[in-house]
Amino acid sequence: MSLLFGQIAFGQIDYTKLIIGRNQGTHYFHDGDSTRVFGFTETLSEETKIPGPTIEVNYGDSVKIDFWNVSQGAPHTIHLHGLDVDQQNDGVPMLSFEVEHMLHGYYYFKAPHPGTYLYHCHVGSTVHLQAGMYGLLIVRPSNGEMNLNWDNGESYDREFSLLASEIDTVWHNDTILDHEHDPMMPLMVPETFNAQYFVVNGLSGSQLNDPANYMYFQPNEKVYMRLANLGYYGVRYIFESALNARTVASDGRPLPNEQLGDTIEVLPGERYETFLQFGNQSSSILTVEHFNLNTLEVSASQEMVFWSSSVGIDEISSVSIYPNPTDDLIYFSDSPVDYDITDITGKAQIKGFSKSSSLSRLPSGIYLLRIEGRTYRIIKN
Amino acid sequence: MIRSLSISFLLFALTINVYSANIDLRLEIFSGDLSMFDNSIIPVITYSDSSAFSPSSPILIFEDGDVLTIKVVNSDINVHGFKVDGLIDIGSIAAGDSVTQVITLIAGIYKYYDPTSIENQYLGLSGLIHVKESGDLTPYFYWNLREHEPELNNAVSSGGSIDQTLYSPKYYTINGNSGDAIDNDAQAKIFGNVNSEFRLVIMNHGLSIHSMHFHGYHLLILDNSKNSSHNGRDKDTFPVYPGHYQLLSATPDKPGEYPIHDHNLIAVTGGGQYHTGMITTMLIAP
Repeated sequence: MSLLFGQIAFGQIDYTKLIIGRNQGTHYFHDGDSTRVFGFTETLSEETKIPGPTIEVNYGDSVKIDFWNVSQGAPHTIHLHGLDVDQQNDGVPMLSFEVEHMLHGYYYFKAPHPGTYLYHCHVGSTVHLQAGMYGLLIVRPSNGEMNLNWDNGESYDREFSLLASEIDTVWHNDTILDHEHDPMMPLMVPETFNAQYFVVNGLSGSQLNDPANYMYFQPNEKVYMRLANLGYYGVRYIFESALNARTVASDGRPLPNEQLGDTIEVLPGERYETFLQFGNQSSSILTVEHFNLNTLEVSASQEMVFWSSSVGIDEISSVSIYPNPTDDLIYFSDSPVDYDITDITGKAQIKGFSKSSSLSRLPSGIYLLRIEGRTYRIIKN
Repeated sequence: MIRSLSISFLLFALTINVYSANIDLRLEIFSGDLSMFDNSIIPVITYSDSSAFSPSSPILIFEDGDVLTIKVVNSDINVHGFKVDGLIDIGSIAAGDSVTQVITLIAGIYKYYDPTSIENQYLGLSGLIHVKESGDLTPYFYWNLREHEPELNNAVSSGGSIDQTLYSPKYYTINGNSGDAIDNDAQAKIFGNVNSEFRLVIMNHGLSIHSMHFHGYHLLILDNSKNSSHNGRDKDTFPVYPGHYQLLSATPDKPGEYPIHDHNLIAVTGGGQYHTGMITTMLIAP
């Protein structure tokens, strides 16, 4: 059974996207814990993840979002954040429509200026967004070109999109998520929000700098970063100065003057688009700070890694290199060998000829161990 | 001399006080209680432009070149003051005393405040002054943002100090109102028309950073006190830092009712209830 809610005639629809609303997903954190989440998926078979799938359309497209709510409990909507759609398609309960269990709702819009936008549920939004019902929406140039920021804009070699948020597991308790839905009654929520997990693209802690999640680049590439925040903290994306970060757009519009600087502060709901220029470095660290908007203090500082595809990383055998992570000694050979240990940026830390090395004087973090022409990733606790 | 100017548009009529030419203004400092939607009571201290306590300090609107004779009366039991950076410095005023000063006003957006302590400003002793350019007939709306942590208000009212590292507000207000009550504030509730410009001044009097998001339209930053290089940006979400303001302009291209809210969505809650904080709508007629 389905209902058609769309009222706006755009003539020919250039692009239709199916988005499915779910409320029974499990999100796994870096420390092994997990929590229940809501979310959006493109198919019934895929697992619910945060954030939801990125929606990509072209400038000028007439777009139809077919939102199918298969979740039980409260209804959901899709708010098209920053797209300046009309009231009927804005996804705000009371002002447009809600989509009940097993029904379809249709949202229509004309894709505005190319850039980075967001979408999220606006029913009990403080609860449903925190629960995981959000994602990115990217408007490409009118011809769909992938390596150009907008029509007659600036080209680039590669792009990465980073969407920051947080999770306070108190807000993921069933008693909060399975709330009653009566628009005439107040929705009771926790009085405070104190996140335990600070995430980027759903990743936290050691997941952020795991090689599986490295942002790979080629030497001398120009990279375009789409930086967004849909959490309840402020976020600072801090690039290494060697990358000459140059921010050219915000909230889907070009800036009248480029913003030069390595730190891009992104508050809840904001988006920025930033060029980076890579050289011959083997890697570069992106520091992501989440800061509390009330205390103004940094609550989490985590690292993500840009890694040159020209530098390989060999799989570590737990038998040959151990213990890893380590608090002090790390063993890597049965007989003495030449070795050197660098930090993730390639800066030398320890060099020698031995079967093992002490990392006791190194700060906690990720390091690269090179022996016999191979590179291994090791971790100092 | 106070001139009362009525601006009518849509089906809504609002009256705001516009002071012009030679102006006498009397502000009186009172302590009192701010009543929240859930009947919680929060102790505050505010300036009032009447002889009675006001739950929030008034928005003062003048024109460039006006000559202002301002008298500030301290009817609280503690020393307070009145200052506008670069414009007015009355200094401290003993309890029960008053100070008068005459000043020629210069176009701009200003924050007035009690310079004696950040605690007094937190409790409510700060407000917004808009000295408009002569002949500026653009409709303006004004938002003074504040958060409230009742326990902190109680502690500060008893002589305690603010430790922001522990700050955890419970209520979020615009001009002293939250949620649906904002609709009843003619200076805050935005009514507009398609193809007709309106402007909004958002000033943050609290301790937290707010990130105000607009549905329906992008708005142009005409001026802001945090970083002048951001003027001219066309955005849908605007950071408003403590002590700072944003002056925004919009010319709606379509009719409708569209929400505006802090996108730190904790700030759209209050006292553990959703939709009772910094959230309202703008109503745009065809």
